[in-house]
Amino acid sequence: MVQFVLPAKSRYKDQPGRHFPAPPAAIRVRRFRIYRFDPDSGRPPCIDTFDVDLDNCGPMVLDALIKIKNEVDSTLTFRRSCREGICGSCAMNIDGLNTLACTCPIQSQGAESRIFPLPHLPVIKDLVPDLTHFYEQYASVKPWLQTREPAPAGRERTQSPRDQELVDRPSACILCACCSTSCPSYWWSSERYLGPAALLAAYRWIVDTRDETQGERLDQLQDSFRLYRCHTIMHCVEACPKDLNPARAIADIKRRMASRDD
Amino acid sequence: MTGRSPHGAAAARPDPHATRHWRNQRLSAIALLLLGPWFIYKLLTLPALDYATVTAWIAEPLQALLLLLFAWSALWHSALGVQVVVDDYIGGRLHVPTARLLQVSHWAAAIAVAWSIWIITQGGA
Repeated sequence: MVQFVLPAKSRYKDQPGRHFPAPPAAIRVRRFRIYRFDPDSGRPPCIDTFDVDLDNCGPMVLDALIKIKNEVDSTLTFRRSCREGICGSCAMNIDGLNTLACTCPIQSQGAESRIFPLPHLPVIKDLVPDLTHFYEQYASVKPWLQTREPAPAGRERTQSPRDQELVDRPSACILCACCSTSCPSYWWSSERYLGPAALLAAYRWIVDTRDETQGERLDQLQDSFRLYRCHTIMHCVEACPKDLNPARAIADIKRRMASRDD
Repeated sequence: MTGRSPHGAAAARPDPHATRHWRNQRLSAIALLLLGPWFIYKLLTLPALDYATVTAWIAEPLQALLLLLFAWSALWHSALGVQVVVDDYIGGRLHVPTARLLQVSHWAAAIAVAWSIWIITQGGA
């Protein structure tokens, strides 16, 4: 359900953070204001300020975060792995938009960049959110091929190029959670609403012509919360760093659901 | 050990009402798209909006039928929409009573509209 006010321990305003200035010789300096939260400290979250010398830093926000961690504050915590938009680990909220830090260029406009963890998830530490529930929702749609008939002898289950096109785009989801955590409906009802990422994964298998459990998959989604909490707000489309369209996939699931009930 | 998450276990029970609700939203919206312009057109082209003129217009059988369909479509669409708002915004113990109260309110309004139009068509206004 809707929550208009953050829990008391989640509020960071009025909590003074630390300021780490850039080296005196730095010319091109960019200010990063970064959400900090350490559950072991017992203190509420705060915002630390880091001034980064862009002449000694890579072009992406993740480069700046790694530079800060390596050279300024080793306790800054964030996930990262591939550094090229494939793994989805470094998803975070940068200047108000959920995106991948590794593919997000450091902005030159504006006074500063504000970096927060993905919204409306429990924070483990700093920029690391707890994705347990998100992954559980993903697993609940059974994101694997399910069949009734045995595989053809001596060959794989084949698909036409046209059939493969149906799953090409949904398969490109990297499960970064940018879409789900940008969705107000997911913020409000994430206990029961599956969210755009899990629904896109479900769709990927619903349209797969090799899968033989489309009926069961639709049955599983047929619920006023699991599927129909999507109100076509479209934040998921705007947030997706892979330019996917979960909203269209959800609309197609609803259309299939309605035509099936005729 | 099935490996099925709580979401998966709950998902074993499909709810046809959910799809019906979604489809009814679209059906009532289509009805409003057709009847809404008719209603506005009628209001704009009536010679006056005084009590006698409006009741005389409603007393015509075809107009009464269309007006009834328009009002019922609007109430149906409203009831469906309000249900979504209640699901989103009202949780805990208040959820079911609020939803029921709003459903009953819409039913009462639908009956009142039908009764009013019936009275007018029977010349009892």
